[in-house]
Amino acid sequence: MISHLIGHPVRFAISTLKITCLAHLTLSHLLQVSPAQGPSMLPTFTVDGDWIAADMTARLGRRIKVGDLVLYKIPIFASQNGVKRVIGMPGDYVSLGTPGERGEEQMIQVPEGHCWIVGDNLPASRDSRQFGPLPLALVQGRIIGKILPWKDRQWAKDGLLKIDS
Amino acid sequence: MALNSIWARIRGSAGGPPSFTRTTVLNLIGFATWIPVIAWFNLHVAELTVIDGSSMYPFMNADRDSSLRRDVVLNYKWSPQEDLQRGMVVTLRSPFHPEVIAVKRVVALEGDVIKTKQPYPVATVRIPQGHVWVEGDGPPGSSLDSNTYGPVSKRLLTGRVTHIVYPPKKFGPVKWWEHDRPLVE
Repeated sequence: MISHLIGHPVRFAISTLKITCLAHLTLSHLLQVSPAQGPSMLPTFTVDGDWIAADMTARLGRRIKVGDLVLYKIPIFASQNGVKRVIGMPGDYVSLGTPGERGEEQMIQVPEGHCWIVGDNLPASRDSRQFGPLPLALVQGRIIGKILPWKDRQWAKDGLLKIDS
Repeated sequence: MALNSIWARIRGSAGGPPSFTRTTVLNLIGFATWIPVIAWFNLHVAELTVIDGSSMYPFMNADRDSSLRRDVVLNYKWSPQEDLQRGMVVTLRSPFHPEVIAVKRVVALEGDVIKTKQPYPVATVRIPQGHVWVEGDGPPGSSLDSNTYGPVSKRLLTGRVTHIVYPPKKFGPVKWWEHDRPLVE
């Protein structure tokens, strides 16, 4: 197979193109491993150096539920992506503000086709509290776990606590 | 080494003339290896799209009352968020229905102040950062657009309608610059 490619520039270029496209589609539609940065998801992910894996079959918000971590396109920026936790799905009532601060009693109902996302580190997170409900179409994948650093590897957990009322 | 011998066997050079089955299988495999390339092209470069529904009537699907035939357009998908102009026709993921792709016209860009139509609850809106205002061409009420769901993020855009391909009498580039919807009256 190697000798079939070496020495045939056109054949080699076409094979490279096919493999690149296959890799791109795998990364965007099946599984993606990417580095995470920023303080917004402390203590789930550290500020720098963590690599996380995302299940991209959950794109467009398919099978996403409350408590999941999602990889999403930040709606107000042209090319940045972020990781946040879903705390409300269509029809749920969520607080517009931050617990323990003024405005926390203001509630809205998450509209059809949207979700409400916040970071685990509330004071240092840009999330739905700034840009409002996130269209599920901007969800690219569901985080399934942390891979690197290898000694801290773990599956993503539902970080929400159930409170009896 | 093992890879080489399997490859040789598939290629048929291991001995004997290639049979009809073997040639057919080889051709099918050869075609299948192109599928990722075609899928990538349709996702990120360009795709022919059939227009469903009447939200862009009468600009598209003008014969909706007399024919089942629908318009076919060229959807250019390379960096649809860049160089957006008022009047351009774009495709986007509907904010209310993530699986649905909608065709709308960009009416206002980031920072513009626009006078809204029914049923939007507020009379004027300033378009926030990274968002645009999209509307259908049809009469009020015929299209689910920004007048219902508000400004949409540019990240929802999937492409730009640059040419009409079918029907032949409308064949040609979309003259979006001829479209004029005043932002405020």
